[in-house]
Amino acid sequence: MTVPPAAEISTPADDAPVVVPSVDAAPETQAVAWRHRHLLDLDVVSWPEIELVMRTTDAMREVLERPIAKVPALRGRNVTILFYEASTRTRVSFEVAAKNLSADVVNIAAATSSVSKGESLVDTVRTVEALGAELLVIRHAVSGAPYLAAETFSGSVINGGDGWHAHPTQALLDLYTMRAHLPGGSVEGRKVVILGDVLHSRVARSNIWSLTAAGADLWLCGPATLLRGFEAWAGRGAAAGRRFHVTSSVDEALRDADVVMALRIQRERMASGLLPSLREYAARYGLSAARLALARPGALVMHPGPMNEGVEISPDVAAGTQSLITEQVTNGVAVRMALLYLLAGTRPGDAA
Amino acid sequence: MTDLDISRAWLVDPAAGREGPGDIVVRDGVLESVVWLEGEDASGVDDRGVIVAPGFVDLHAHFREPGNEDAETIATGMAAAAHGGFTTVCVMPNTAPALDDPAVLARVAAAREASSSPIRVLAFGSVSAGRGGETLAALGELADAGVIGFSDDGSPVTSGPLLRNALAYAGALGLPIVEHPEDAALTAGAEMSDGFVATVLGLRGWPAAAEEAAVARDLALLADVVRDVPAARLHLTHVSTAGALELVRRAKAAGLPVTCDVTPHHLALTDEWVAGSRRWAWEASGNPWDDGAITDAPYSSALRVNPPLRSVADAAACREALLDGTADAVASDHAPHTPVDKDVEFGLAANGISGIETALGVLLAAVDAGLVSLGQAVEALTVGPARVIGSAWGADQQPGLVEGSPADLVVFDRSESWTVTAQTLASKGKNTPLLGRALSGRVLATIAAGRLVYEAGAD
Repeated sequence: MTVPPAAEISTPADDAPVVVPSVDAAPETQAVAWRHRHLLDLDVVSWPEIELVMRTTDAMREVLERPIAKVPALRGRNVTILFYEASTRTRVSFEVAAKNLSADVVNIAAATSSVSKGESLVDTVRTVEALGAELLVIRHAVSGAPYLAAETFSGSVINGGDGWHAHPTQALLDLYTMRAHLPGGSVEGRKVVILGDVLHSRVARSNIWSLTAAGADLWLCGPATLLRGFEAWAGRGAAAGRRFHVTSSVDEALRDADVVMALRIQRERMASGLLPSLREYAARYGLSAARLALARPGALVMHPGPMNEGVEISPDVAAGTQSLITEQVTNGVAVRMALLYLLAGTRPGDAA
Repeated sequence: MTDLDISRAWLVDPAAGREGPGDIVVRDGVLESVVWLEGEDASGVDDRGVIVAPGFVDLHAHFREPGNEDAETIATGMAAAAHGGFTTVCVMPNTAPALDDPAVLARVAAAREASSSPIRVLAFGSVSAGRGGETLAALGELADAGVIGFSDDGSPVTSGPLLRNALAYAGALGLPIVEHPEDAALTAGAEMSDGFVATVLGLRGWPAAAEEAAVARDLALLADVVRDVPAARLHLTHVSTAGALELVRRAKAAGLPVTCDVTPHHLALTDEWVAGSRRWAWEASGNPWDDGAITDAPYSSALRVNPPLRSVADAAACREALLDGTADAVASDHAPHTPVDKDVEFGLAANGISGIETALGVLLAAVDAGLVSLGQAVEALTVGPARVIGSAWGADQQPGLVEGSPADLVVFDRSESWTVTAQTLASKGKNTPLLGRALSGRVLATIAAGRLVYEAGAD
């Protein structure tokens, strides 16, 4: 992997797409520039562009390792973080990322703003823009809401998670974390398992785009009620070269896996009749040490958080030597720094 | 009253089962002559140019008055109808208050009178009081006051016993029950049609089974009722799935008194539009993400509609149903909404497409593609819906090119297109996914009851 010198992270020019210098890269990847004005999901992001994010993240990791983890790249730029859904981890991660780049950060939690008075999303976006927002990070419980924000906002929108739909920064930090630990730095041909409530998971959906683009041997596993609709996606995807597998058999999924990512199970799934009980879920699908033994020795264990320890993952596995869960959090800051940096260099005329 | 001379046009008269080159003359609002040209006189006239047809009949529209006049009024709805080539519109009773009582019908009639437009506005009364789904509305009084049938459209009649009673009671009054088939328990929280696109977009799916289960129940209840009340009739509106249409097909074959309509958007658009595709159903591959079909942003709330836009196969089944007579009519389900209700997140947006002005153009897209004949399209917009209305149509002239009757016509030009924009739509509802799109078949003139109600270029 190529690591551009962190010293070269400068304020992006106003009139040029960002090209991260990478001395070792092949000529064709050197020419890759970031041309997306927004980051809404990964379906429209090409593999060379994903690799550009990975290389930029390498540089940001280097920044994070400095005694004072701060560069002036976004000095004077306003990053507004508008969260319509409770979140600590992702919101703080974006905030730290923006501050590390010296941006001015405005945090808006929907519960404390005029949103609770019934203001529409469009009006809120216009308001934050009038207050100086240039980069807008939005999280919303309704799938697709960031697209509505992007239609209204004249700057760049980053999707911080929308409904069941997408969580692109999470998928990119997942990919980055896998590449950092897999031999050869590549997920190509590696068996990656996403285990749990796939149906309601924006993390799973975004990971499908990035991991199939990366050539992973991707498996989605969970109770049949929580995989509804994904077989059809797998069928369509396979025809288009985006191959992945869907199974309710946890043994089949975990056997010889290189990476296992467990997803959070929410209590309301029982009320809606999707699962009999958390106890039954833990027994049949929980990632325990015994179950993890089916995977390859040293298989990577991941979780997007927050965890229900003892339900989808047992505490010893979550805290075990194979777990990368804490590192995911650190890499999350680096990936978000990279994305803020790349998006700050785009212009209104660029593709969505 | 209008005078109009059109020579060497393509006349379509579905009532007479005839179409071909011809001339028409309207004098003082009366269709004075209809001359079918033959031989040399007819040469050079084809069905790709100016078409003259009976004024269209829309079985299903929402004019929002009383109660939501910001979205549409009877007057603006009639202007939109005229622009779309419709001279008769059946309005749904999901107003506020619901049209469950003759007093509300009187308000609709008064608004129509006040507009002085000659477009015929027929009204459905609600099945249940207040559309609450619990007790019957004033069906007999509404029938006496002139409603053409009963519907709780917008919602199904969830209670099986109530629907059974309504079918019997309305049947004895000689009127149909128009049912919006949806099993509401299966669609709770649903945002778009269940399937591949919904899975990728993370939207809660609206299963085809929810419509099919409802249609199956409705048909079973109808079969039960007709044993006692042979005059009972059921009309299923905006049927949208292949499975539901197959159930109707079999019920018709078994002789049940059931009719149904499909909408222009369900036969020509698909759920792929929600992903950002703008391809007609017959051009879609089934995977918009990998065939280059996505040209627009996803989650356009203009596409949120009940029933939802379905799969490519369902749209094909809607067209097939028109061809084999399973579907009796094309109805617009014109559902205007304000920006307040539509310019919001997809999942929070109101259901509905403003469609009375684009119905002809969308249907002609299918005609242009060779999937439906011009004659079939016109039939589905004229005599088809008139047959569904049946005796409630009253003494007015039935759709047709009948000499000596008051002129009730639409003239459109298949060789001319028009672009759908907020400005070109007469409806207050600009909530259509076709904004910016050029549609063929520009309406040149619409004449209702002998009077010109729309003329191209005059708006």
